[in-house]
Amino acid sequence: MIREALVWLQTSLGKGTGDTAQSWSEALLGSLNFWGLLEGTHLITLVLFAGTIFVVDLRLLGLTFRKTPVSVVSDKILPLTVAGFVILIATGLALFFAKPLVYYHNIWFRAKLVFLVLAMLNIVIFHTRVQNNQAAWDTLELPPRGARIAAMLSLLSWLLVIAMGRFIPYNWFDCGKPIPHIVNVMQDCKTSEQGAVDKEDMAKLGVAKQGGQAR
Amino acid sequence: MKLTFEVLLPALRPWVANLVNVWPAYIIKPQYANWEVLHILALTLLGGTAILMNLRLLNVGITEEPPSEIYRNLRRWQDLGVIGIIVSGILIGMANAEKLYDSTAFVVKMCALLGGIILTYGASRPVARADGAVSGSAKLWFLLGALIWFAGVVIMATGALINVGLYHVITAAALVVLIAARGRLRWIYLIGLVALIAVQQGITHGVYQGDDIAHLDPVNKVFTWLYAIWIVGAGLVRLLLTRREERQGAYVQLIAWSGILVWITGAAAGRWIAFE
Repeated sequence: MIREALVWLQTSLGKGTGDTAQSWSEALLGSLNFWGLLEGTHLITLVLFAGTIFVVDLRLLGLTFRKTPVSVVSDKILPLTVAGFVILIATGLALFFAKPLVYYHNIWFRAKLVFLVLAMLNIVIFHTRVQNNQAAWDTLELPPRGARIAAMLSLLSWLLVIAMGRFIPYNWFDCGKPIPHIVNVMQDCKTSEQGAVDKEDMAKLGVAKQGGQAR
Repeated sequence: MKLTFEVLLPALRPWVANLVNVWPAYIIKPQYANWEVLHILALTLLGGTAILMNLRLLNVGITEEPPSEIYRNLRRWQDLGVIGIIVSGILIGMANAEKLYDSTAFVVKMCALLGGIILTYGASRPVARADGAVSGSAKLWFLLGALIWFAGVVIMATGALINVGLYHVITAAALVVLIAARGRLRWIYLIGLVALIAVQQGITHGVYQGDDIAHLDPVNKVFTWLYAIWIVGAGLVRLLLTRREERQGAYVQLIAWSGILVWITGAAAGRWIAFE
């Protein structure tokens, strides 16, 4: 169901008539510079987004701006973080649009989305639970344990989102290559054009073959 | 001419080619992606602290605290970012040395790194520490750092295939001016910028076809200049206005802008090594 929609997105949406007609997705991927600019902007905006959110997390951990109230640090820095996040989402969606099927069958991309959801969930919990009594600890050099745990989880989840994002272009687990069965299942290789080849099956085949030769 | 370290130091090729076999490069090579993640994390730490420290010099950000307090709180994290990009950069650079030796974007990146360190440690941080007072040595370091950074920008602008990466620097400059400008200036600046983008899109998508490079190329180059003039012009207007009204010195503002944009230039050049 999702895959069919993505196939349509990649190959049909915006496609005109004629032999050389391209879909919008194909045109974006094949553009001379635009794809590169999108990708570069996605990466460089991380400096604005992650660089500023790290400082807020470090304040919550009591590792910087200990004499400045938490509310001052977050009120002044988070607008920059949000601006960065908006650019990241916009460029991220455009990059996904250029190669939807590649990302759909990519385990790192799927993992990135999972950690992204966890990071967002952490923000929601922080706002609805931890921040309830912020007035009581706003000026403390070392905020209470709940706030510190939220900051640690934030740092960890964004670190993982960044790492998973950087691993996406590597071909270690491409569908069609002999890869562990669990990875084939997790990135739904069976429905991909390259199909699913289980490393375990290949190993068994290899053993059988060797055995045959020995006999 | 394609300016690379191969052109500057042609005799070094055998040494460069062998770097991948030297310790610890041969250990790093199979774990390349992990070290790239470290390189990016260090860059975010360095870039984030540079943005916050320099925006404070432009009276934006945590204005409840003086610039010296921002400096005091962020300097060690910034040091960690600088050490991180250099150490991880040397390691992944050794594992990938020959590609970098033949890359113009890498020359730009090294100009930005050197210029960035000089601008940050020689100008931006001392000025923040002194709450905006600019010493004679800070001015000298600023001029030297800005000159090296400018050389990198010129190399990038004249390098075929990588000059498009300059749009990252232009975009960042546009955002910094938008954040720093206030009142009527901010609106005039924003409307002008949106109008320029609309006209450029109209010409490159309405007047000419997408494959008509002969016409599109000069149009895009003219618009790149127009963007640069508009953004730098708005920055200069802000500089003149605040110098009069808030007694915020011209040097402080120039140091703050360059202190952010130099690192964006380095990051843009770094990314464009892959597209070269």
